[in-house]
Amino acid sequence: MAVYDIELRHLVKEFGGAERGKRGYQVRAVDDVNLQIEQGEFFALLGPSGCGKTTTLRMIAGFEHPTSGEILISGRPVQNIPAFHRPVNTVFQDYALFPHMTVFQNVLFGLRMEGTPRTVAAQRVEEALDMVKLGHLAQRKPSQLSGGQQQRVALARALVKRPAVLLLDEPLGALDLKLRKEMQLELKTMQQRVGITFIFVTHDQEEAMTMANRIAVMHNGKVLQMGTARQIYEHPGTRFVADFIGETNFIEGDLVARQAGAGTVKLPDATLIEAQLPPDWSADSGTVTLAVRPERMGIVPEGEEADMPKMPLSVLTGMLVEMNYIGTDTRYTVRLFDRLDIAVREQNVDYEENYDFRVGQTVKIFFPLASASILHRD
Amino acid sequence: MLEARSRRRRTLGGVLLALPAILWLALFFLIPLGIMVVVSVLTRDASGAGVLPLTLEHYERVFGVFSPVLWRSIGISLVATLVCLVIGYPLAFFISTRQRQWVRQVCLFLVILPFWTNFLVRTYAWRVLLGDEGTINSILSATGLIQEPLQLLNTQFAVVVGLVYGFLPFMVLPIYASVERFDFRFVDAAHDLGANDLRAFLEVVFPLTLPGVFAGSALVFIPCVGAFVTPDLLGGTSGLMIGNLIQRQFGGSGNMPLGSALSVVMMVIVMLTLLAYVRFGTRRA
Repeated sequence: MAVYDIELRHLVKEFGGAERGKRGYQVRAVDDVNLQIEQGEFFALLGPSGCGKTTTLRMIAGFEHPTSGEILISGRPVQNIPAFHRPVNTVFQDYALFPHMTVFQNVLFGLRMEGTPRTVAAQRVEEALDMVKLGHLAQRKPSQLSGGQQQRVALARALVKRPAVLLLDEPLGALDLKLRKEMQLELKTMQQRVGITFIFVTHDQEEAMTMANRIAVMHNGKVLQMGTARQIYEHPGTRFVADFIGETNFIEGDLVARQAGAGTVKLPDATLIEAQLPPDWSADSGTVTLAVRPERMGIVPEGEEADMPKMPLSVLTGMLVEMNYIGTDTRYTVRLFDRLDIAVREQNVDYEENYDFRVGQTVKIFFPLASASILHRD
Repeated sequence: MLEARSRRRRTLGGVLLALPAILWLALFFLIPLGIMVVVSVLTRDASGAGVLPLTLEHYERVFGVFSPVLWRSIGISLVATLVCLVIGYPLAFFISTRQRQWVRQVCLFLVILPFWTNFLVRTYAWRVLLGDEGTINSILSATGLIQEPLQLLNTQFAVVVGLVYGFLPFMVLPIYASVERFDFRFVDAAHDLGANDLRAFLEVVFPLTLPGVFAGSALVFIPCVGAFVTPDLLGGTSGLMIGNLIQRQFGGSGNMPLGSALSVVMMVIVMLTLLAYVRFGTRRA
C-alpha cells in the first residue's frame, strides 16, 4: 500500500455537544473528510469561511482532537500524539510570532525545544533567515517588521525544523494585493526548492490555483471535489464548486438523451444543447443544471452567424441588456428566455474588428460541447 | 489657524478639568510633603515637635539603630509579594481562562468580596485563628499532632499571612487583565514548534503576562512596606515594621522629626519601587 505524507481517513470534528451540555447544540465542522497527499505536493484546502478547512488543518497540526477518524503522517497514526511531537510545522494566520523575542530568537525557538546544540542551531537559524532574505533583520523585534517580513519570519521559523509537512493557514491573508502576488510565486518557488509537502488553507480561489498542484474544495465540512486547478475549473462537479471557482453561468434544462460522456439538454425555449456529463453520472433524464464559463462563449449580432467558428456549437438567442468595457475584456450581459441573464466575456484582441453592439439588440451566443458541463446537485 | 485655536481650547479645557485634582494634590499632598521633608531635618524639642537648628541625626538613627526594622519591613513585604504572586498567578490564570463570561465575573466577585468587610475586623479574625488557644492550635492539639501550642501569633509569619490575605486581590486583578489579553495562539505556536505545556508557559505565556505580574507586585509591595495595622495586630515585637515606628513617633512617644525622617525613607523605597515598575513593568511587549 502506498505511503502518503498525509492521509486523512473519515475525519470528523464536532464542536459543542458534550462541551455545551444538554442543549444539544452541535456543529459538524469537519464531516467525513478523506484525503491522500503525496510527498512533495503543494496541496490547497479551499473553501469559504466556516467550511472546515482550518479545523482540518488544526487537526493535522494537533491543536484539535478529531471526534472520529484517523490522521496518518508518513503512514503513522498521530491522533494520540500531541502537537509538539508531530513532524509538522505551521505558518499561522497573522503569523503568531512571539512579540517578546527577536527574529533570531523566534526562529531559534523550535530548535531550542528539540535540544539542538547551540552552535548547530545558530547556524541553521542563519541559513533559514538567509533563505527568506532576512539575515540582516535577525536582531529586530517582530513589531518592527512589515507584514511581508513577518510572513517570511513565520516561514523560516517553521522550515528551520525541517518538518515532513508544512501547514499554512491563510498565509497571505494579511498582505496587500501586490505583495500577495509576489509571495504566491515565492512560496511556490521555495516549496519546489525545499521539496517539503505544503498544505495550505485559503478562501482565495485564484491563490489556490496559482500555487497548488492539487486543490480540495470544501463546503459545510465536506470535500466536494479534489483535483488539479484545471480539472476543477474545467469540470466542476457541483454547482457550489462551479460558482466558487471563477465566474459561471447556470442554465437549467431537461436531460433528454445521453451518449458516452455527454448529454443533450432541452432548454425552456426548446433549444437543444450538448454538454459534458461528470464521469460518475447515472440518471438518464430529469432536470439538470448546466454550467458555462463566460469566457468560453462567443457572441455575434443576429444575422452575423456566418462569423461563428466552423465547428459543432450550441447556439442560444437572447437580448443584449448590458455591455461593459473592462480593459482586457468586454463583458456582455445577455438575457435569455426574457428572464435569465448570462454573462459573456470576450477578449479585446483587435478593437477595429469588434462588432458595433447596441444594448437592446438581439444577439447569438455560442459555445462548443467542451465548454458546457452538467452538474451534480449539491 | 483654526486648528491651532481649537487645540489651544482643548488644552485649556484639559487644564480646567484637571484643576480640582491639581489643587487637591498641591494642598494636601505636595505642601504637607514639603513640610515633612523640612521637619525631618529639624531638632526635636521637649514637646516632640521640630525646631531649629537643622540636623541629620534622625537619618543617622533610621539607618543605624532602626535599620533592622527597615530591612525587616522590606523583607516581609518581599515575601508577602512573592507569596501573593505564587497564589495569585494560578488563580488569575484559572479565572481568566474560563469559557463563560458569567463564571469569570462570579470568580472576580469572590476575589473582591473580602473588601466588603472592614480591614481591621478581618485582621482581628486572624488573631482568633492564629492565637495560642486559637482555632488552628485547638484543632492541631485535639488531633494529637502537637502537645504544646505553636507560636503562630506575634511572629513575622503571622504578618506575612495577614498581608497576603489583605492584598491578594491587588495581585490577582492586574494578572487577570494580562492573561485575558493574552493571545492563546502563541501557545499553539509554541506547541507547534515542539514546546510542551511547561515550556510553553515558561517561555511564552509567563513572559507575555509579565506586565500584569509587575503591576500586581507593585500594588502589593507598596502598601505592604507602609503597613502598620497588620504588624501591629499580628506581629508583636518580632514582627514590628517601619509603619509601626512611624505611627509611634507621631503618637505617644512623640518624635515628629524622627517620624518624618522614617516617612521620607519609606517614601523613597516606594518611589524606587514605582520607578522599577515603570522601567521594567510597562515596557511594551
